[in-house]
Amino acid sequence: MKKAAKWKYGLMATTVLLGTVLSACTSETQTQPKSTDTPKTEPADAKSREIRTLQILSRPQASAPDEYERANLIAGAMKELGINAEIKAMPYEQQSDIVWYKRDEWDMTGWQMAARPERLDPDEFVYNLFHSSTAKDGYNFIGYNNPEYDKIAEQQRITVDREERKNLIFKAQELIASDVAYLFNVHPKLKYVYNHQVFDPNSVVEMAGMGIRNIWTYLNAAPIGQQKNMVLNSNDSVQALNPFYISGSFDSWVTELIWDRLMRIDKDGLPKPWAAESVTWKTDTQIEIKLRANMKWHDGKPVTAEDVKFSYEAPLTGEVPMYKPFVEIIDKIDIKDPLTLEFTLKRPWAAFETASLSKLNLVPKHIWGPIIEDLKNKPENAESYQEKTPIGSGPFKYENWKFKEEVVLSANTEHFSPPKIEKWIMREIPNTEASLGMIENGEINFLAVFPGDGQLLQQKVEASPNLTMVTTTDLGFQFFAMNHRRPPFNDVAFRRALAAAVDRDMMAQVVYKGFAEPGDSVISPALPIWKNPSLPYPSGGVEEAKKILQEAGYEWDAAGKLLYPAGKKEELGK
Amino acid sequence: MGNRSKFIWSRLAQMVLTLWIIATILFFIFRLMPGNPLVAYIDPTFTKEQQDILMAQFGLDKPLWMQYLIYLANLVQGELGDSFKFRAPVMEVIWGVLPNTLYLMLFSFVIAYLVGILGGVLLAWKRKTRFETIGIIATLFTRSAPQMWVGMIVLVIFSFHLNWFPSGGASATGVVYASEWEKLTSLSFLKHLFLPSLTAAIYLMGLPLLLMRSNMLDVMGESYVEVARMRGLSEQRIMLKYAARNAALPVVTAMAVGIGYALGGNVVIEMVFSWPGLGRLLVNAVSASDYALAQGAFILSAAVMVIMNFVADILYSFLDPRVTFGKGR
Repeated sequence: MKKAAKWKYGLMATTVLLGTVLSACTSETQTQPKSTDTPKTEPADAKSREIRTLQILSRPQASAPDEYERANLIAGAMKELGINAEIKAMPYEQQSDIVWYKRDEWDMTGWQMAARPERLDPDEFVYNLFHSSTAKDGYNFIGYNNPEYDKIAEQQRITVDREERKNLIFKAQELIASDVAYLFNVHPKLKYVYNHQVFDPNSVVEMAGMGIRNIWTYLNAAPIGQQKNMVLNSNDSVQALNPFYISGSFDSWVTELIWDRLMRIDKDGLPKPWAAESVTWKTDTQIEIKLRANMKWHDGKPVTAEDVKFSYEAPLTGEVPMYKPFVEIIDKIDIKDPLTLEFTLKRPWAAFETASLSKLNLVPKHIWGPIIEDLKNKPENAESYQEKTPIGSGPFKYENWKFKEEVVLSANTEHFSPPKIEKWIMREIPNTEASLGMIENGEINFLAVFPGDGQLLQQKVEASPNLTMVTTTDLGFQFFAMNHRRPPFNDVAFRRALAAAVDRDMMAQVVYKGFAEPGDSVISPALPIWKNPSLPYPSGGVEEAKKILQEAGYEWDAAGKLLYPAGKKEELGK
Repeated sequence: MGNRSKFIWSRLAQMVLTLWIIATILFFIFRLMPGNPLVAYIDPTFTKEQQDILMAQFGLDKPLWMQYLIYLANLVQGELGDSFKFRAPVMEVIWGVLPNTLYLMLFSFVIAYLVGILGGVLLAWKRKTRFETIGIIATLFTRSAPQMWVGMIVLVIFSFHLNWFPSGGASATGVVYASEWEKLTSLSFLKHLFLPSLTAAIYLMGLPLLLMRSNMLDVMGESYVEVARMRGLSEQRIMLKYAARNAALPVVTAMAVGIGYALGGNVVIEMVFSWPGLGRLLVNAVSASDYALAQGAFILSAAVMVIMNFVADILYSFLDPRVTFGKGR
C-alpha cells in the first residue's frame, strides 16, 4: 500500500514539476509577434473573436523528447501567428485515452504511426485513418470528413490493377495534403547496428521502410566466426507467443519466425509467395493458392490445405477477434486437392495479399482445432491460450522463453528456406545505455532497438572497429493531429496556415539531428511505388501562413492576437 | 500467556481490516487513474466490436460496484484474476519473476546487514576518532547517492571496462536451468546477481549501520556494561557479547519490515541491470492500466509487509522480555 501511495505522489509531483518547467519553457521560446505585422486599429468585436488558448497534447520530455520538442516548435510557430498555445504533457496512456474516448475535447495532439510489414501496402493508412466511417469510434479520431476522399479511399480498395490503384493513392495523398488532414512532421530514420565481425555484411538485408531488422536478415545473415547465434535486444516484455493474438510488437518479432504465412512481404515492400508456391488471381475475387510440397510442422506432421483453411476460418468463430477484420472479406475457401485451395472473396480487395495473405499465421489444425472447440464453451478466447511449446512451420523453432529475460529460437533446418544462423535470441534490456555497452562488448551482436540519440550512436559505431550502422527512412511517421471537429481547426485555411508556418526541415535537422526526413504524406518516401512526389502540402513559413490567414478573412487585434474572420465567434470559451 | 494470545488475536483482526482497506483503495486508485486498458490496443484496424469484446473479457463492462464486489469475493478465495496484458493468471505472471526478486533482495540484505551491523559496532567502538568521522560521512554518502547513478557507475567499471561481470539479465544468453536449485548454485547466475546486489546493498547498509551505532552508544552507557568492564572482561567480548546483542534488537525489526518492503522489487536497480523482477513488472502493469496485475502485485507486497510487521511485533515479545502486553494491547 505504501508503495502505491508513493507511486501516486511521485506521479503527481512529476506532473506538477513538468507543468512548471513547461510553462517556463513555453513562455521563453515564444516571442511576441512584431507589432509592425499587425494592423494598429482593432475591430470593435475583437474580444469575442479572439481565438482561445489552444492546447497541444504531448508525451512528456522524459519519455518522448522528440515529440515534446516538436510540440514546442509548433507552439512557437503558432505564437508568431498570434495564437496562444499551451503544451500539456502527459503519459501516453492518458493522452490516448483523451484522443480516443473524448473525441470532442482536445485541440491538437502528438501522434505517430510505426513501421510494420503489412503497412507497406497503403490501404491501412489511406482507408482506416481518414475514411469518415471510422470517425466515430475508429482510427479517424481527428474527425476528417471529405466525401470526395471517402470515394477514392473506397475505390482504391477494390482496384486490383496496380497502375490504376497507384493513381487513386496519388489522388488520396493530394487531398490529404491540400486539406491538411494532419500536420505532418517527419519520417524518422530507423537506425540499426550489427557486429560485422560476426555477420558477413553482404548477407544483411535492408528492407524498404523497415531497415535491416527484418526476417530476410534473420534468414540470410551468414556467421563468419565462432559466434553462430544472433543475439538482439528488446526493451519491453514479450507478452504472449500466440499465433492468434496480435499483442506487443516484440511478440510479433517472434511469432513471424515461428509461424509461416502464405505470402511474405519482400524487401521491396511487395508481397511474394512464401508457404504458397503460387498465388494466382483467377478473377478479381477468386484466388488459387498452391502450397509448397513437403512442408512440415515443428512436431513433424505435414502441412496440408486443411490446416490453411482452418487458419483462415478460425478467426470467424469469434474466438480469435483480432484477426477477424482480415478474413471477413472471404466468402468461402474450397480445397481442390491436398495442396491447392481456392479463396473466393465477397468483393475485390486490393490489399488482400498484404493485409491478409501475408498477415495470418498458418496454424496446425491438429493442435488448435480441439483448443478452439473447447474455448467455444468458455468465456475466454484463443488470445489467452498459451501453448507450452508453440508449434508452427516457420524457419525458426521455439526453444525457450524466460519471462522478462529472453526468447530463444533455433533454426529449422528442414524448412524450405533454412536460416544460416543457429539460434535467434532476443534479450530484454530496458536500459538503453547498457544496450549500447553490450553491442560494443559483444554481449549482443544486433542492436534492434535504440530509442536514444542517433548522433551518439553514430559516434560510438564509428569509434568501434566491429560495428556497422544502417539507417533507413521509416515507413512510419511522426505528426501532430488537429481536431477537425473543433474550431478553428474545422477551417481548412487555418490548418493550411499552420502547416505553412511549421518548419519541417528544421525539425529534421534540430530535433532529429538529421536522422529524419521531412514528411508531407502518410506514405513514406521509402516507398516510391506509392509515394506521390509532388504534393500540394503548404509551406513557405510564417509569412506565407499570415497571407493564407489574411486571405481567409482572419484579422489581428492591437496586441497582435489572431481573431476569427468577421462574423465568427469563439464558441469554446477560453 | 492469556494476554499474549489476546494480543495476537487483536493484531490479526487489525491485519485483516488493514488488508481490506488496502484492497479497496487499490481497486479505486487504478480505476480513477486516467487511461484505460484498451488504449494499449489502439490501432488502425481496431474496431468497435473488438473494443466491446475486450471490455467484456476484462470484466469492465459491468458497473463499478459490481466489479468491486466480484473483486473482493475473488480476493477472499485467493483468486487474483487474469492479467489483461499477459492474458494469464496474475499469480502465474507474478510467480514468473518473484523468485528473481527474492534472490536479489535476500542476497543484498545479507550483505547489507552483515556489513551494516559490524560497521555500526565498529563505529561505536571507535567513537570520537577520525575513523568514525570518515565512516559516518561515507555512510551518509552511500545512503544518499541515487541508485540509478551508483548502478551505472558499477556497470561501467565492473562490466564494460573490467569485463568481470555480465551487464544485464539474470542468466547467460541461451542457458536453460533444469531447476531453481541448479540456477541458484550456478556460477553464471551468481555472477549476474552480484552487481545488482552490490548496488542495492550499498544503499541498504546505511540504515542498519547508523541504527546499530546509535543503539550501541545507548547500550554502552548501561550499568551492566559498566559491570562487565569492572569484571575485567576484554573490550572485544563486551562489545560483541554484551552490547551488540542488545543493540541489535531494533535492527531485527528494521530488517523484518525492510524485507517486507523490498518484496515490491526495486524498479531502479531492475531497470539498470535488466533484472527480470517484480519491480519492472509492476511498472509495466501500472503503465498499461493492467488493473488485475497491478492490484494483485500490490496486494501481495502489501500483505507481506503487513505480515512482516506482525511477525516483528510477535518476535519482539520473545526477544525482549521488557515488552509486556498491557490491557488489550
